[in-house]
Amino acid sequence: MRRDSSPLDKLLENPRVWRGHNRAHATAGLASGYEALDRHLPGGGWPQCSLTEILVEHYGIGELRLLMPALAHLSAEDSGSDYAEPGWIAWVAPPFQPYPPALQQWGINLSRILIVRPKDDSETLWSAEQALSSGTCAAVLLWPDVLDDQAGRRLQLAAEKGSSWAIAFRPPAARAEPSAAALRIELQASGEGTRLSILKSRGGRPAVLHDVV
Amino acid sequence: MSTARHHRSSQGLFSQHSLALDTPAVRPQTLTAPVIKRLWFCIYLPNLALETSGPGDEARVVVEEQHGIHRVLLASAKAEFAGILPGQSANAALALLPALRVEERSEIAEQQTLENLAFWLEQFTSVVCFAGPDVLLVEIAGSLRLYGGLLSLRQQIAAGLGQQGFSASLAIAPTPLAATWLARGGRRTCIREPANLAAALRTLSLACLDWPNAVCESLTGMGVRNIGDCLRLPREGFARRFGPQRLIELDRALGRLPDPRSSWRAPERFCADYEMTEEQSDRELLLAICRELLFSLEQFLRTRQLGVQSILFTFFHLHNSATQLRLGCANAERMADCWFDLLSIRFEKLTLSEPVVSVRLRGGHAQALQAEPGRLRFQGKAPGQGRALRFSVAQLAERLVARVGNECVAGVATVAEHRPQLAWRLQDLLSGKAAKTLSTIRKGLQRPLWMLPEPVLLPVDAGYPLHQGRLRIVEGPERLETGWWDEDGIARDYYTAVNPRGMRLWVFRNRNRTASWYLHGFFG
Repeated sequence: MRRDSSPLDKLLENPRVWRGHNRAHATAGLASGYEALDRHLPGGGWPQCSLTEILVEHYGIGELRLLMPALAHLSAEDSGSDYAEPGWIAWVAPPFQPYPPALQQWGINLSRILIVRPKDDSETLWSAEQALSSGTCAAVLLWPDVLDDQAGRRLQLAAEKGSSWAIAFRPPAARAEPSAAALRIELQASGEGTRLSILKSRGGRPAVLHDVV
Repeated sequence: MSTARHHRSSQGLFSQHSLALDTPAVRPQTLTAPVIKRLWFCIYLPNLALETSGPGDEARVVVEEQHGIHRVLLASAKAEFAGILPGQSANAALALLPALRVEERSEIAEQQTLENLAFWLEQFTSVVCFAGPDVLLVEIAGSLRLYGGLLSLRQQIAAGLGQQGFSASLAIAPTPLAATWLARGGRRTCIREPANLAAALRTLSLACLDWPNAVCESLTGMGVRNIGDCLRLPREGFARRFGPQRLIELDRALGRLPDPRSSWRAPERFCADYEMTEEQSDRELLLAICRELLFSLEQFLRTRQLGVQSILFTFFHLHNSATQLRLGCANAERMADCWFDLLSIRFEKLTLSEPVVSVRLRGGHAQALQAEPGRLRFQGKAPGQGRALRFSVAQLAERLVARVGNECVAGVATVAEHRPQLAWRLQDLLSGKAAKTLSTIRKGLQRPLWMLPEPVLLPVDAGYPLHQGRLRIVEGPERLETGWWDEDGIARDYYTAVNPRGMRLWVFRNRNRTASWYLHGFFG
């Protein structure tokens, strides 16, 4: 119940006052399929139409499992999304071969997979940008060698333009670099379990989660 | 009075003898009821030689060698104004106007121009015929309704010719020869009924007939000056004196004999050259030339309602062998802009060893255009809610292929097979065949998301396999022993293992005597 007379409420109505945890403006995210993670992401899921960075030291620690439920939802025929057709999922310069039987087990529609293996890093970024801005791809996963601030900004703009979701996998050394990404996640694993740190989240707060995947 | 009687008598002779001719070839078979009414549109290009050598209204002449002397064949309006006339020697013309541009006549180029024109005319009708080095015949009876009637069609053709810089004399008649003669005579007539032909042709001079000089001269000597005079001559005598061919021509022109014509067909494959005046290495300019060629390709395909899946650019150099650039498309495509998009991506990376002297564009095998299946969007979706579709996935794949190469862009599919390395395959996205994915999901058996191209042999320490530390088996074994019928038979026990760094690995142990450990994938 709002009391109009309260000076605090009056102050808060002033548009110049910014409240960090104001989630009313955050656009709805795409449910990640992991409840613990969804609770910490603004909009209750992966931010769409933007760039997400995932920092991983080694492959095989759950970096793909983290994305699979969301990707399965995007590629599904009856996703019930706003799109008339299910979106494509582009894999640009993956370090190994994405294994189709496993993708199928995760519920990914294989007929919507596009794998691009560019010869060098500039082609990787170019291909990713093309795929993002084309409007046909619901998500673009890329493994660039180097992603500087400017390239990140370009990807972010392309994702906005094509209403797509860019996911860049980067080494943990990139943590110190500035980034245009809407969401930055670092994934660490040891024999005991995995640790997921939300380093940067537009409209959200940093957090550390254990054993999400 | 006597002349009038003479007229009548000669006409009587004409019809009286018309069936009494000996040679069957010259017997006129009067067409009583033509099944299909034909209407021939003749385009006569008297200044073709001049117009072929290029546009421009400066003073210039086209010369031709006659008995060792270059004589003026045609002169432009400005040259004629300076007093240069056809038939003059080139030297005399140059003496009159030193600034004159003199060009040698090229019959090959004229033929090429005429073919280009015939190609352009094919948009109006399916029957285009060559009737001499400077005459094109077009049958238009079937096109009248589509092009809004005779007058409108005539206007469209005349306007198109004018735009391309041709000064043509046009005539329309029910027989091809009559149309040709009328056009040569410069009559802007349009005759629709065969019955009106004789009256229209009567006053045409003999020069319009394009008969050999000897025939014309002897006819003139007899006091025969026009076609009307010819028609009054007795048939037998005329055929005997000038050959039956002349009589047949007259009969054909008047529609008394059929005059079959074979229609010209443009080649089905597009091929065009652009010759440069000098060697060029300016890439911007080359790209602009390619664009121009692509537009003529589009024009070519549009007339035919076709598209091509591949095109080939050839850049010719003076010394080195030519550089080739092949472009491919998923669907048959004809739009120049689409091809240009692909070209500009590839052209960036093209290295030209030398400046270019000419560019050739060859279209691939032409095929019917495939329409893109669209989707109706309704049910209250607010605009801008869905993705703004800039291009389809086929177009995206084309762009990617154009830059990174064909083998680098692929889709995937599963194969019903137990052996992990054979249970999937790459799929060509550009082939257009959407192979159906086999659904062979076995819930129980976990498969890794990352697959190594080849299994990697793992070192072993005290019986434990190592990969950045000692592996701990968390699941397994899953035994795969199959494929004994071919070369790639396997007998393996697969395990899921975790290493101290938290990586989940898919490893296997061969069921043979060496029992070595291999890494085959990661559970990403």
